[in-house]
Amino acid sequence: MSSTAAPASSKGVASESPHHSSFRTARHRRAYRSDKILEVVATGSATALLLLLGALVAVLVYAAVPSFRTFGLAFLVHSEWRPNELERFKRDAQGQIVKDQDGEPVTETIPPAFGALPVIYGTAVSSAISLTFAVPFSLGCALFLVRIAPRSTAKPVSFLIEFLVAIPSIAYGIWGLYILAPFLQQHVEPPLNAVFVSVPGLHWLGSDATTGRDLFCGSLVLAIMVIPIITAVSRDVLRAVPRAQIEGTTALGATWWQTSREMLRYSRSGLFGAIMLGLARAAGETMAVAMVIGNVNQVRPSPFAAAQTMSSLLANEFAEASSDLHRAALLEVALVLLVMSLLFNVVARWLVVGGGQASGAGGH
Amino acid sequence: MPELGNPRAQQYPPVMKELPMPDEPENVESERAHAAPSLPGHNGAAPQSRPAPAFSGYPSPLATAPPRREPSLTAQPEIHPELNSEPHVLVLSQFCLYYGKHKALHEISMPIAAQKVTALVGPSGCGKSTLLRSINRLNDLIEHVRTEGRIMFRDENVYGSNTDVIGLRKRLGMVFQKSNPFPMSVFENVIYARRIADERSKARLHQVCERSLRSAALWDEVKDRLHSSALGLSGGQQQRLCIARAIAAEPEVLLMDEPCSALDPIATAKVEDLIHELRGRYTVVIVTHNMQQAARVSDFTAFMYLGRLVEYGPTGSIFQNPRLKQTEDYITGRFG
Amino acid sequence: MWMGCIACAAIILGVLALVLWYLISIGRQSVNLAFFAQDPQPYGADGYPGGMRNALVGTAILVGLASAVGVPVGILGGVYLSEYRTRAWLTETVRFTADVLAGVPSIVVGILGYELLVVPLGHFNGWAGALALAFIMIPIVTRTTEEMLHLIPGSYREASIALGATKARTIVRVVLPAATGGLITGVMLALARVAGETAPLLFTALGSRLLTFDPRYPFPSLTKQIYDYATGPYAEQKQQAWAGILILIVLIFSFNLLVRLFTRPRQFRA
Repeated sequence: MSSTAAPASSKGVASESPHHSSFRTARHRRAYRSDKILEVVATGSATALLLLLGALVAVLVYAAVPSFRTFGLAFLVHSEWRPNELERFKRDAQGQIVKDQDGEPVTETIPPAFGALPVIYGTAVSSAISLTFAVPFSLGCALFLVRIAPRSTAKPVSFLIEFLVAIPSIAYGIWGLYILAPFLQQHVEPPLNAVFVSVPGLHWLGSDATTGRDLFCGSLVLAIMVIPIITAVSRDVLRAVPRAQIEGTTALGATWWQTSREMLRYSRSGLFGAIMLGLARAAGETMAVAMVIGNVNQVRPSPFAAAQTMSSLLANEFAEASSDLHRAALLEVALVLLVMSLLFNVVARWLVVGGGQASGAGGH
Repeated sequence: MPELGNPRAQQYPPVMKELPMPDEPENVESERAHAAPSLPGHNGAAPQSRPAPAFSGYPSPLATAPPRREPSLTAQPEIHPELNSEPHVLVLSQFCLYYGKHKALHEISMPIAAQKVTALVGPSGCGKSTLLRSINRLNDLIEHVRTEGRIMFRDENVYGSNTDVIGLRKRLGMVFQKSNPFPMSVFENVIYARRIADERSKARLHQVCERSLRSAALWDEVKDRLHSSALGLSGGQQQRLCIARAIAAEPEVLLMDEPCSALDPIATAKVEDLIHELRGRYTVVIVTHNMQQAARVSDFTAFMYLGRLVEYGPTGSIFQNPRLKQTEDYITGRFG
Repeated sequence: MWMGCIACAAIILGVLALVLWYLISIGRQSVNLAFFAQDPQPYGADGYPGGMRNALVGTAILVGLASAVGVPVGILGGVYLSEYRTRAWLTETVRFTADVLAGVPSIVVGILGYELLVVPLGHFNGWAGALALAFIMIPIVTRTTEEMLHLIPGSYREASIALGATKARTIVRVVLPAATGGLITGVMLALARVAGETAPLLFTALGSRLLTFDPRYPFPSLTKQIYDYATGPYAEQKQQAWAGILILIVLIFSFNLLVRLFTRPRQFRA
């Protein structure tokens, strides 16, 4: 926009200019294009993340539709998981076997039936047991790192604990399968089982066979895998408790444990978030669990009975699904798994980031 | 030199007229002459047209100076007439800047003389850095910034809707308060602007590098380590490197935002010598809170307060013979 | 009570030691040159059990293919989150999505890969496996890139803009090179994570006992082969599974160590 007021040659304006005008020259147009390109590409990549999440949900929903149609919501509460058809004798209303004109029993084919209850049970119970073991140890270790350990010890210990996270899950799986499971089978489960069976109120906790590859073993392995996560996040949450808080309690004459309890109480939402993160990992863990949990779709109250989780079911059956309905049922299970893990992650994030307002860890 | 008429007539400001462009000195004179009501209680003597007093570098209010006018926040800025005879490279015209709802700059109108050093002084928070950064539109990087008014750079409006801001910035070099060399070698830092211009010729790049470093009085210190990291230089060297980097872009105007505030006295002295040498080749606008530095280094000084331009004139006049009491108070350290 | 906390930490470290000790000591017995140099031989054939060369090469190729997609998309996504914040809701949503995606079970990501690339092609193939791994990589690389770019002081960007550079040039020539160390860290963490994944490969690349370079068909990988061997009936293969685990752990450990080495010198530079 040139000045319309004074003529350019008035003595107020320096007329000599070694550069050409700043208006867009061809080279500037090219430079702006590179700006635009980078912006578009970067925005596209960011949108790719959104698309990824959307695709996950959409594809699962779409592919699980046959299962929705066949089983409806009852899918979540039925416990029979039978991918194959059943042949059985047809019975009439009184229960007598129906015979055809030759006197041969008539058989009928029962179509496959799928119900997700066993795997939902397996996931829920294995996660719950693993957390019961993991949480006390994790919180204790986090308190150790934050309050007891000198800087020189805390660093290597933290590093080692974070290395625990990096160990791939099949490593845990193999270790669980060949070291832990036999150990449990020989030394832990028989005596415990005997105890359960003999104590009057607890005999439902006992199991006929203790192979070592069961819900209990799976839960233990999960606990080991989940401890480093809960420890790491709890450590960060506890570290963010303001010094004033700690000093205030100590100045009032509180013992070490009372101060620590105050810290835990102060950051309880963040800690709860850490636990939820651990829960999310436990529920979604596949390989380690698939190797040690026994892989039987059943609902049994005993921890020494074989079981199946949603992810172990998928790991075992997906590649060789025998029919479209089978696959659709598996996909519906996957959808439940996805929704559950999304829920846990969202809540956990909200708790750790939102609840920790005082910590300054809020919202990167 | 055109007479300004009775400046004391400004004490009761007339109906605010738009400040005319300083390239119309005739209008200025006639408007102000018309606007002057005769005021009781002042000795009606017009100020003598003194020759500019010998430049002493230290403020010394003369006892025989006419009584200073009391400051009024809505008064027109006091712009000394000497400015109007200089060729201008930048002209600000009723320029306002808002950070969200907060008005940071109030109707700034001032010309910047070409090939001279102009200093912006004032207490902290008076808006001098904001003003400087508005000239090359660096405030665009901040969210919720809104501007009104114009800044004319030669014959283009910096804030015009069609302006090629990137091209503009190549002609306005900037040196920041805290030196910020890129984490690259000294050589790469200096020729960064040439790389933007797609200069490929190695010989030419080396030529530009040497010339800029010599202009920044840094060549001898770094000529053996051109390809080592710039972050290994001392603070003063880094700042001179940033000046060299700005010069290498061959700008017309150099904007310097408190370039010496983070430097020790020796480095400061070197940078000030540098500015002396750059005058004449470049127009320099320097923001400083150090009064002595402004007095040493600049040809013109603008005093700002609370986002307004208060007084603006040749450095000698401002320091020896400020027309406003507020200016005098600041210069002598009574406030700010 | 504080003794209890020390005990907790000690027990945890003790368990870690237990796990590692077994893995290392048993795996060590079967690691030999043949492990690296030979391909698997079936039971009863000459040279049974052979080695795991095909699986090592397979994992390398899959991770390489996954990085070819995952690293650029991740870094560019991180650049967007850090440098372009034109629409606040988009930035927040993408950041949130990246965090949430990082927690999705990898087997579900494998299913996505299955539906996208196995179903149309009609058979399991390596591309699907690489794609599933890329899907896992992208959120991780995005978030670490964003965090690393946030550490670059704004004064660099200001200086570059003041010299008349475009935003694109500022990002590509000043900001990204300054953040290179951190970016490499993020990428290596993602690589380490992805190299150890089994579940997404179970029904995408499926696995193979052949040394192959063609991702259009079932493709071998170290993790899947370990899984097959470990759950299979053959004792020698189980031994090899242990060896494979050891190699995998050594790999991941060295990645993590390198990452630590990379991040520490940064503090002096900044």
